[in-house]
Amino acid sequence: MEVNEFINQDLIKMELQSKDKDSVIEEMIDIMVENGIVSDKEEVVQKAMEREAKGTTGVGRGVAIPHVKSNAVKKAAVAFGRSSEGIDYDSMDEKPSYLFFLITVPEESHNEHLKILAQLSRNLVHDDFRDSLLEAESAEDVMEILEAI
Amino acid sequence: MSDKKKIVAVTSCPTGIAHTYMASESLEEAAKKMNVDISVETQGSVGVENELSEQDIKEADAVIIAADTNVSHERFVGKYIEEVAVADAINDAEALINKALEGAEKGEVKEDVALEAQVEDEKAKRKQKRTGAYKHLMTGVSFMLPFVVAGGLAIAISFVFGIDAAEESGTLAAALMQIGGDAAFALMVPILAGYISFSIADRPGIAPGMIGGMMASQLEAGFLGGIIAGFLAGYVTQFLKEKISLPKNLEGLMPILVLPFLASLAVGLLMIYLIGPPVQAIMTGLESWLQGMTDANAALLGLILGAMMAFDMGGPVNKAAYTFGVGLLGSNIFAPMAAIMAAGMTPPLGLALATVLFKDRFTRQEIEAGKPAWVMGISFITEGAIPFAAADPIRVIPSIMTGSAVTGALSMLFGAGLRAPHGGIFVLPIPGVVTNLGLYALAIVAGTIVTALMLRITKPKLKNA
Repeated sequence: MEVNEFINQDLIKMELQSKDKDSVIEEMIDIMVENGIVSDKEEVVQKAMEREAKGTTGVGRGVAIPHVKSNAVKKAAVAFGRSSEGIDYDSMDEKPSYLFFLITVPEESHNEHLKILAQLSRNLVHDDFRDSLLEAESAEDVMEILEAI
Repeated sequence: MSDKKKIVAVTSCPTGIAHTYMASESLEEAAKKMNVDISVETQGSVGVENELSEQDIKEADAVIIAADTNVSHERFVGKYIEEVAVADAINDAEALINKALEGAEKGEVKEDVALEAQVEDEKAKRKQKRTGAYKHLMTGVSFMLPFVVAGGLAIAISFVFGIDAAEESGTLAAALMQIGGDAAFALMVPILAGYISFSIADRPGIAPGMIGGMMASQLEAGFLGGIIAGFLAGYVTQFLKEKISLPKNLEGLMPILVLPFLASLAVGLLMIYLIGPPVQAIMTGLESWLQGMTDANAALLGLILGAMMAFDMGGPVNKAAYTFGVGLLGSNIFAPMAAIMAAGMTPPLGLALATVLFKDRFTRQEIEAGKPAWVMGISFITEGAIPFAAADPIRVIPSIMTGSAVTGALSMLFGAGLRAPHGGIFVLPIPGVVTNLGLYALAIVAGTIVTALMLRITKPKLKNA
């Protein structure tokens, strides 16, 4: 089980267009819809918003990890997006977010999948991991960094 | 070295995908930097990982719970607990660890509160243990019940064809007897023991439990022997499971090879050398004791025979009484046999009556089991009472013994005699088989009512009945 089962270059957007929280969530979910991972956009957007209402997934240090568990998700996947300007994501440290990971998993998920996602989450805590993502120049670079997890 | 602080932590979040693990990582990272020992248990979507051991908790100076879900404090009684939202651990784990250690330093856990909580905890544990053994027993009984009912009814139907019809091979009656007696009833005790053991030790417990139960049958130790075998097998398997640790690549052998083999061996040997001899001794001892009593007071003999019939329903004590009665038939003495059969009928009959009259003292399953118990009772299939007795031996066995003793004594007093060694009410209408038929029936009815009343007294009301 490798990281590239969840993410590939098509799921990486190096420059997000959105300027605020709601639209960046939608923009990230659109990536999933385009790649056929999400079958019902409305449903997934709603689930993501519900999760944010319970507590923001803007975990600080410039990282946000919106996530959705839903039957409208066909397979466990991760989309990565970056904003060079930073977006106000209502973060816990009240600073703008630059790195976005949207994690989508079906209701019934294999433990192996969830373990990889847990590993990804763990890595986001490390400064050098985040820095290298901020400095990556292409989707290829990002994949390389993620594959090294 | 010894002044290095130690912290245990639990992280958890509602979806259990991201925050749980980020918080865990942050805490571990910060602790490393601060030279603090830490163990973090994550309660996420994968389930509980890196579960804190009792040792971890005992050694910890402070506890951190970083969770947006409900994490139980029970394990951490007597420790200083710093409880925060999961986000706080991700944001500033260093500050959180400092806060927890400072709190612990100030000793914010009051000793008396901790002690009281500990006492409560201990009580709760003991209670849990009690319901534990009861739960194991109930699991075994509920798996055994269908075997008793199916087997008992098959045997009862075979009597309809005439009392000795089953002895002629090739007949339907013989087939029914084979289904009920040779198959279903033979499985009864092994199933009971197997599922008691399963309840204790999970799947690896089934094989040693059933094997132990089978040996209880072969040693003629009856269902009480089966209960012993089941608990023995369960706890032995559980013990081995905890004590034996194999290298990781051999772990797969544990549940299919190591545990079943070693536990079955241990239980089997224990059954043969520890349970077998006393059972044999009881049986032969009781038999010769009864032989000596042939001339004793008739009512007293009936009382004793009756109580013996009900004591273990197919175990050594019951067998001793039954063998005694059948032996006397050869000497043309018919009264003890009558007492024995009557006393063997009242346990299921009395229980069936009690489930009708005192519904609030039985589980729903038992009330259902009461219906086939009528049929088994009138057919002299004492085994019909086993599921009730196995579920609650301390109350049920004395109750049915009392009822059977009364029946046995009355039958002897009334001078009833019986020339057939089995058959229940199916033999009663056959001319010449029973002497003093009317009074004999009265003895059975009286014992049935006494049994039911005894159950009313001994069994407590169930809650939520």
